[in-house]
Amino acid sequence: MKSAPPHPRWAPWAFLTPFLALFVIFTLWPLAQSLVLAFQQTFGPKSTAYIGTKNFTFLFEDPLFWQAVRNTAVYTFGAVFIQLPVALGLALLLNRPGLRGRAIFRLIFFAPSLVGLVFVGVMFAQLFQKRTGLINAGLHALFPAWDPEFAWLDNQVMPSLLLASVWLYAGFNMIYFLAALQNVNRELIEAASIDGAGPWHRFRHIVVPEIRPVATFVVLLSVIGSFQLFELPWVLLDNTAGPDNRGLTVVMYLYQTGFLVGDLGYASAIGWVLGLLLAGAAAVQMRATRLEGNQ
Amino acid sequence: MRRLTLFPIYVALVFFAVLTLLPFVWMLTSSLKNQNDFFTSFFLPRGDGLLGIAWDRLTLANFRRLFIEQPIARAMLNSFFLASVTSSLATLTSAMGGYALAKYSFRSRAAVTWLVVTALIIPASLLIAPSYRILWQLGLLNSYAGLILPALAPAFGVFLFRQTMLNTVPTELLESARIDGAGEFRIFFTIVIPLVRPMIGAFLMITFLASWNNFIGPQIVLQEPEIFPLSVTINNLRGVYATDYGLIMSGTLLSIAPVMCLFLLLQKEFISGLTSGAVKG
Amino acid sequence: MPRPRFKRPFELLSPGAWTIVTLALVSSAIYAAWPVPERPGRDFWMFSPPNVQHYRAVLDAWNAQHPDNRVNLIQIHYQALERRLLAAFTSDAPVADLVETESRTMARAFAGPLEAIGFVDLTERLHREGLFEAINPPSFSTWTTRGRTFALPHDVHPCLLGYRADLVEAAGIDVAQIETWEDFRRLLGPLIRDHDGDGRPDRYLLNFWDTNFDLLTVLLWQAGGDLFDAQERAAFATELNARTIAELAGWVAGPRRFCVDARDFTAGGDQMRLEGTVVAAILPDWLAAVWRSNIPGLAGKVKLMRLPAWERGGRRTSVWGGTALGITKSAPDFEKSWAVAKHLYLSPQVAESLFRTTYIISPVKAHWQLPFYHEPDPFFSGQKVGAMYLAEAPHVPPRIASPYMTLAMERMMAVLVSLKAHAIARNTYDAEALLPEARRLLADAQRDLSARMGRNVLYRSAQ
Repeated sequence: MKSAPPHPRWAPWAFLTPFLALFVIFTLWPLAQSLVLAFQQTFGPKSTAYIGTKNFTFLFEDPLFWQAVRNTAVYTFGAVFIQLPVALGLALLLNRPGLRGRAIFRLIFFAPSLVGLVFVGVMFAQLFQKRTGLINAGLHALFPAWDPEFAWLDNQVMPSLLLASVWLYAGFNMIYFLAALQNVNRELIEAASIDGAGPWHRFRHIVVPEIRPVATFVVLLSVIGSFQLFELPWVLLDNTAGPDNRGLTVVMYLYQTGFLVGDLGYASAIGWVLGLLLAGAAAVQMRATRLEGNQ
Repeated sequence: MRRLTLFPIYVALVFFAVLTLLPFVWMLTSSLKNQNDFFTSFFLPRGDGLLGIAWDRLTLANFRRLFIEQPIARAMLNSFFLASVTSSLATLTSAMGGYALAKYSFRSRAAVTWLVVTALIIPASLLIAPSYRILWQLGLLNSYAGLILPALAPAFGVFLFRQTMLNTVPTELLESARIDGAGEFRIFFTIVIPLVRPMIGAFLMITFLASWNNFIGPQIVLQEPEIFPLSVTINNLRGVYATDYGLIMSGTLLSIAPVMCLFLLLQKEFISGLTSGAVKG
Repeated sequence: MPRPRFKRPFELLSPGAWTIVTLALVSSAIYAAWPVPERPGRDFWMFSPPNVQHYRAVLDAWNAQHPDNRVNLIQIHYQALERRLLAAFTSDAPVADLVETESRTMARAFAGPLEAIGFVDLTERLHREGLFEAINPPSFSTWTTRGRTFALPHDVHPCLLGYRADLVEAAGIDVAQIETWEDFRRLLGPLIRDHDGDGRPDRYLLNFWDTNFDLLTVLLWQAGGDLFDAQERAAFATELNARTIAELAGWVAGPRRFCVDARDFTAGGDQMRLEGTVVAAILPDWLAAVWRSNIPGLAGKVKLMRLPAWERGGRRTSVWGGTALGITKSAPDFEKSWAVAKHLYLSPQVAESLFRTTYIISPVKAHWQLPFYHEPDPFFSGQKVGAMYLAEAPHVPPRIASPYMTLAMERMMAVLVSLKAHAIARNTYDAEALLPEARRLLADAQRDLSARMGRNVLYRSAQ
């Protein structure tokens, strides 16, 4: 048998060039400019002042930034420990053997991923309304003691956000889990249940190891996505950070600073600190799961 | 026996399905109501028709107005163009990039891979202002190219395809093709692409959806209403001083229909494809 | 070694994937065959949907008469407008020739040195053409920074009180006796009622809430306070503002609460207005038109009256919102743009069309005698809506413009939110008792905002 000829040296670059060229122009170059901006106070190319590390020193003492970090962390925690378990739960329900109408249910649960955020904002603002919203009106009808003026979007911003994010994203993550569950060996489960293993035991020892790679991947995506959370609370809170900045996230703060106050330098500093925080978190998780490993 | 044990599962599924669908029912009924009924009833307007509902007040006027008062047909065509071109080309560049990183060994591979992984964490808002300047300098403002080109270098896509190629494309297969004298591009298009068909379907779907629903990017880059996509046209109905709910709801309904059909077409690959980027073989 | 199998083209992709690729090819072909036509003329960006219909008619006529100075009307969402303006100004990219913006959007363009502001400084021009005299003076304040004016004002936006006349009259209450907010609370008080016996009132008197920062600033301005001083420094920690805020805390909590959150532009808020959960609302001219179009069910049930004052003899109106037209520095032909601007904002025909579609009264004083402002209006039970708003126009409080306006408004809201929580925690709703805490919160908030503003070396050095 002949030994395989090596690939030509230009081959990897031919495949990478379209991506790399555009990536350099539209990601790396603006990114480099944002790094320069982070050390500037600017109002356009003609009026720019270098202010050294003042953006960063202000940032570390900026209570709003740290409030944004806290809110973002709370949301991330909720996404991983509430939204993802709901997604897994739906997948487990749908994965039952002998279930009919699986395709219909799957489509229904996925459907929220198809709608744009404009609709989500309009709709959840309606649902969370104080007196007239379906949630308060419904709860008040069921339990007369429920306060119809319960202020979801004023006082309970994070729970409201998490509720909305479950509706919006759980169906998408469910698809990941569903695909992973299809790899789980049915016979193993049957055998275990004949041996008298309870449902929790079967889940813990047969299902979990099988879906672990997908689960860690989904967690990683959720963490990255949650850290960059901006548009959902922005549309939900009617283009504000909510009362007393209760819904302020880091990227929202970046956006507000850059586009509502016009301080692009400070906004860039926020973006870079966020990037570094996220890089730290991602590195920890990837090290933990060794997703990085080549071949 | 089996039916009995499944019963609570059906109950749970139907319960969650109803919760998930409520907003859609609200959207549908809102699109059929006039502005006054929108404010006075949550789903269907009360009246003296069957079941105490004023069936005669339901109207298709919102849909009619959408086509008469808004450039909705044009916007739909724009959206189809933007989303299909963006997703096709982005999938191609991502698959090529991912393939190079997964299946070729070359000197800078580790560096490029590191770059791609790092790029996953760049917040998009950080790049808005500098990107705008670049688009203007390149003469790409107010053109579809200004919207499509930046979307063709998704680090996430390259990352996904790299993982998928590692998992599903056997290196021996490529080597034996080379022995048969096949060129590198022939190998890629006729052997590799079919092997990662599910990922192609999944990524097409993801990028199509993202482009279809994106309303912030087009609002900044595109400046003239003739070339606005559907998402922007619908968002424009939401104002500071007044919001036309009936129009928004009927517009949203119109914008969901095409992506719903696409999902139905692609759902099999979508489901298996999504995870092929995650599992390491 | 496995044998490779080279697939035929149709096998490469799934039917779904082929659908998308085909779509891409077909739609690309369509665009290649029918490119979007270039439109000559000047671009005019605006954001307000109700103004679209009004302008479309006006500009169609203009374009027919002025083929050499055509105008393209482009409506964009106000947030997109904001992003585009700032992105363009800060990267020296061109923008539309004419831009109609809301006051807070334009103020954001003021964050740099005067000479870097992307709009043309109109001060000399306004003087030369006598427009500072012809237009109601308070209308200029939000478009002016460091003594220079950058836009032509579109409106006055005085506030009246819109109320459910049917409910008030059925209770035999005479609104003519209301002069102050305290009168309002006392005389209309009997209308606060629990209809369904669940121990919670189902009707309140006024639409206001501690989280509604628009209305909060409207009330502060009415009381005579402001957020910034004449040097455009943050200056809201005043005794006057502390008293106003302390009073407002008792409006939204405690035994004498009379306000409810019936937010404008929300379906829920409109439903509450329609069902009578809220009796009255602060109503600028433009919002009156939103009521007319969004809540037609209120026709003939509502009336307008002057706002109750903060004290006897005090100001009976306030101001909410504001729009103006700026000409950008990137516009190639200033004179042509200026001609369009004057037609849009100063002509009596356009003023009439504006009033009829949006109730918005013109800031041009010479137009105030025009008959259409003095016709009875069926929606507001036969009142002469235009005349009522015009009567308040000269008394509208001036406001200091600042790029930090939104930030300051949010800080004020946070102060009221905290003060309300403080009041509830101590079960004290008396304004006098809340005053020290109000002062403390305001001082803290002002210190924070001043620190942020102080960072901007470009804005400061220009002052």
